[in-house]
This record gives sequence, structure tokens and C-alpha cells, in this order.
Amino acid sequence: MDVRFDQAGTSFDGRTAVHPLSLSLTERRIGIIGLNGSGKTTFARMINGLVQPSQGRVTVNGFDTGADGEAVRGQVGFIFQNPQNQIILPILREDIELGLRGRKLTRGQMQDRVNGVLARFSIGHLADRRVHELSGGELQLAALASVLVTEPPIVILDEPTNQLDLRNRTLVERTLRALDEDVLVISHDLPLIEDYDRVLLFHEGRIVADGRPEEVVAEYRKIAVS
Amino acid sequence: MSTRDLVLSALFAAIIVALGLLPPIMLGFIPVPITAQSMGVMLAGVILGAKRGTIAVLLVLLLAAIGLPVLSGGRGGLAVFAAPTTGFLIGWVFAAFVTGYLSERFVKNSQGAMLQTAGFFAAAVAGGVVVLYAFGISYLAVVSGLGLTKAFVGSMAFIPGDLVKAAVAALAGRAVMVGYPLLPARA
Amino acid sequence: MRSLYVEGDSRLHRLSPRIKLILLIVVSLALFLTRSPIMLGGAAFAGALLYGSLGMGWREGWLRLRPILLTIAVVALATLMLNTVEEGVVVLLRLTTLMLVAAAVTATTPVGSFIGEISSAARPFERIGLVRADDIGLAVGLVIRFVPEVVSRYEILRQAHRARGLKLRPMTVIVPLTIQTLKSADEIAAAIDARGIRGHKPPSRS
Repeated sequence: MDVRFDQAGTSFDGRTAVHPLSLSLTERRIGIIGLNGSGKTTFARMINGLVQPSQGRVTVNGFDTGADGEAVRGQVGFIFQNPQNQIILPILREDIELGLRGRKLTRGQMQDRVNGVLARFSIGHLADRRVHELSGGELQLAALASVLVTEPPIVILDEPTNQLDLRNRTLVERTLRALDEDVLVISHDLPLIEDYDRVLLFHEGRIVADGRPEEVVAEYRKIAVS
Repeated sequence: MSTRDLVLSALFAAIIVALGLLPPIMLGFIPVPITAQSMGVMLAGVILGAKRGTIAVLLVLLLAAIGLPVLSGGRGGLAVFAAPTTGFLIGWVFAAFVTGYLSERFVKNSQGAMLQTAGFFAAAVAGGVVVLYAFGISYLAVVSGLGLTKAFVGSMAFIPGDLVKAAVAALAGRAVMVGYPLLPARA
Repeated sequence: MRSLYVEGDSRLHRLSPRIKLILLIVVSLALFLTRSPIMLGGAAFAGALLYGSLGMGWREGWLRLRPILLTIAVVALATLMLNTVEEGVVVLLRLTTLMLVAAAVTATTPVGSFIGEISSAARPFERIGLVRADDIGLAVGLVIRFVPEVVSRYEILRQAHRARGLKLRPMTVIVPLTIQTLKSADEIAAAIDARGIRGHKPPSRS
């Protein structure tokens, strides 16, 4: 990935969520950690243009998140904290198709793409199920499928293992490891990111540590008890 | 319309549909069960305001029209628009609009709790009772050939219940406003 | 939520939804132009034959129409007693016929075809910026998707009441139910924008 922050920060309702910062993210797997409310989610949302910087600029693979919003959303898939709220239509297959709407695909091409992504996450059997009836782990995989069907090269996941039982957590972990896409993961689940290429630690809207997982996690433990 | 407004309207439509599926809730002080769907229409106006509230109600009617059993008692399909009481159904749209329009004007953040609740109640009565019955009774009068007076007398029995619903909607609207303010309409 | 569409291959099933809706409007106008009980009786009979020919079974067919038929009967009875017998009969036959034909259109048209028809009817308004045609299908899908979520939230609230020995009251049910549901709107809207489903620039606030 090639994500650049150029003195970009954001504040709303008079509160600064992310202080202006400059950095470039080029690694394949990046973890983001920090306490609740430290600015992690806002930072991640700035990358796919859901939150616009109130100053500075953010580019993804050369596209500006403000001026080329649509191109950026083609580059960055976003899996939200609560997959429950991510899936919009009642039947999983319909929901996955929704992302492909307006891409001028034939009915057959659309079916192939949908079936392909379902097979990739081994959830073909869920295609015609009602989303409401899916379990937590199934929902997380369904959300991944609905986002990855459009083939974005970068995927951001906001606490993907939150509230999952051990089996589902293992399932999601394994799926994440197998992803070919570049990933940026926000997580409180420290083992998940222990072998990542780079980890950022957020505290009060700033990056206070940035580097190899073990160093940054050690720093995080200090903050957590202070 | 922003995506957020679209989603708020759709979620409220889901609440109105769900209110028709849930068992009636008993009020504390009178032993009358409240069938909540028509109260949902007043709530839509009180909580979402004119534009989003009206769209929420339109969505419920659209779902009914295209053949989904979304109205209380599992009613749905185009046949529900063939009943003599269809005027009340069509009146929902205008009831939500008027309730929402007046709520946006009557209720201010600077007011005390009593005044806010009173403002919501006045809006809910004007929209959910006066406007709703104007549509319902006129339609009934024409379709049945009964004439306005008889249609009015026949519908009167339901007015006390709807006044109670307006009161509940006003209290709920004010409580939601405190817990999750959506009025005055945010962009 | 099961739709009221009934699988089948009758002539009415094969007719385009647009023609069916136009026919329904023509039928309803025609029904209000005549006051002859004999003609209306014939129409009601034809409507019943049509509705009965769709292959949904007597019990199902009756259960669907029972609540509507009841209000028609009550109002027709009132008209019969307060005005004349003939007027009561006219109201009964007219509305019953309309109900039968409308129910027949519903039973032979899948939800998806209706949405397609409504979206294409909305296209002209799209050009003047009044509505986005694709939003209609999206909004309908959202409602169907979230009704079961609202119902499960109600179940959880009901159990929470029971666990604490509280009685269900409108205020203690409706207020939390509404707040919990509407609070998820921000994230759902963000998900729609993040996936570029409405294909336009999302708002700058989080």
C-alpha cells in the first residue's frame, strides 16, 4: 500500500480527534493499537475518505481522499467494528451483489464474482441465508466477502475479532493471515498483530509509538497502567 | 438526501413495522392495550422531523403495497388500500409530515422539559389526530356514502385512544431527544 | 418476512406488473362509476373467481383477506342500517371486488418486480433531482433487513425487564428501542458510503 498523510488532522464539534500528522504507510500488514477513544478509528476512516481531514491532505496510492473520493473507495475496503451494521440487504447474496451494482457487469459476470468471493471465504452455504440469522463469525466473514467482492487492494478492519468466541476468533485470524490484500487492522487483540510488519500506537489523538510489534506493544502496556 | 437521512428513515420504518408485530403493551394507569403502529407514525414525526418522518411512513406504505405483510395483524398487499379505512392509511403520510413540521417549530433545545413535552403533544395531536382523522373520515364518508357527520360519529370512539397515544409519543419523543438528539434536523 | 407473492404460472402471473397496476386503476374507477347491484355482483363474482384461480388454497386466501373483509362488512352494515339496504349492498360488493382484484395483483407480482417498476417510474423525477431511483430499492432492502433486528432488540429488552422484575411499559420499551436502533444509523450510513454504493462523495463528519 502507499498511504500518505501530509500534515493531515481532523477535528469536529470543537474536539480534535486526530492531531495533524505526516507519515507514509507502505508495509503490507500494519496494526493500529491504543486505548478506547484514542483516535484509531478516526485515523482509519480518514484513509478511505469517510472522514475528511480538516487540514492537510491524505492520499492513497496517489489518489486524494477528498478530490478523488470515489477512486479511493475503490482502493480501500473497510470492515466496520460491528459487521451487523455493515450488511445492508436482508439476504447475503443480494448484499454482496449490491457492491457490484453500477459496474456494468452482465448477470453472469456478477454471479461469478459473487460465487467466487463466497468460495474464497468458504461461505457458499450462507449465500441465500437471511443475514439476521448468521452467527458472529459468519457475519464477520460475510462482511469481508461483501467488501472484497469489489477487489480493493487495501483492506482496513476495525476490531475484527471483537466479541467473537475462541473458535470464531481463530477462524477470522486464519482468514486474515491468508488475505493477499494489504491489511490495516485496528485491534485490542494483541496476539493478532504480533507478527505484523509495523504497528502504530495511538494516544489522545497522536501517534506515540511506531515500529516493530514487540516494541510498540511494550509501550502500550506502559500507557495502559499509567 | 444524505445517506444518514436515508438510513434513519429506513430504520424508523423498520421500527414502525416492528411495532405492528409486537404484542400490545399495557399502559400503567388505564387497562387498555396500546396497539403501537399508529403511534409509530406520530413518533416518526416527533423524533425525525417532517422530511425524514414522512419518508419513513411512505416506506412502510410502499412495503405494504408491494406485498409485504408489514401492517399490524400481518396485513399487506394492495388489498389493504381497498378497505373503507384506507383514508387513515393515506392520512399517515400527512400526519407524520404535520407532526414533524410542528415539532421542528414548537420544540426548542432551550425550553424546559414540560414545555418540550407539551410542544410534542400539540404537534402529535395536530398531525396524528386532527390531520389523520380529516383524511380518514373524508375517505370513509365518500366510499361508504355515509356522509361526513355519520362517518365522524362512527370514528369518534377511537379518538380518546389516539389522544393517549399522542401523549405517549410526546413523552417518548422528548426522552429520545434527550438521549439521542435528532431535532432540529441535522444536515 | 415472507411476501404475499404466490408462486405460479397463471395468465396474471405472466402479465407485466405495469399492465396489472394500470388494470387495477381502471377496475377501481369502473367500480365507482356504476351503482347497479347486479353489475357489481357480477364483478364481485368475477373477482372471486380470479382470486380463487391463483392456486394459493382456500384457507390461505381467506386468512389474507379476513381483516380487510371485516372492516368492509362493518362499514357496509352501518351504511345499510343508517342509509338504505341498496347502498349497503353496493358498498359491500364494490369494496369486496376491489379488494379481490388488488389481492390478485399482489399474489401474482414478486416484490422485486414491483421495486423495478417503481424505480423506473421514478427515473424521470431523478432528472429534476427529486429522488434517486436506486435509493428506493436500497431503502426497501434496509427496512426488510432491520425489522428482525428491531424485534430481537425488543426481545432483549423484554428479558431485561423480566430479569429485574419490571413490567413492560410503553416508555421503558419504546424509548430504548428507538435510541438503540437509530444509533446504529451512523455506522450503517458509513458502511454504505465506504462501499461506494450510492456512488457519491460521503459527508465529511464522522
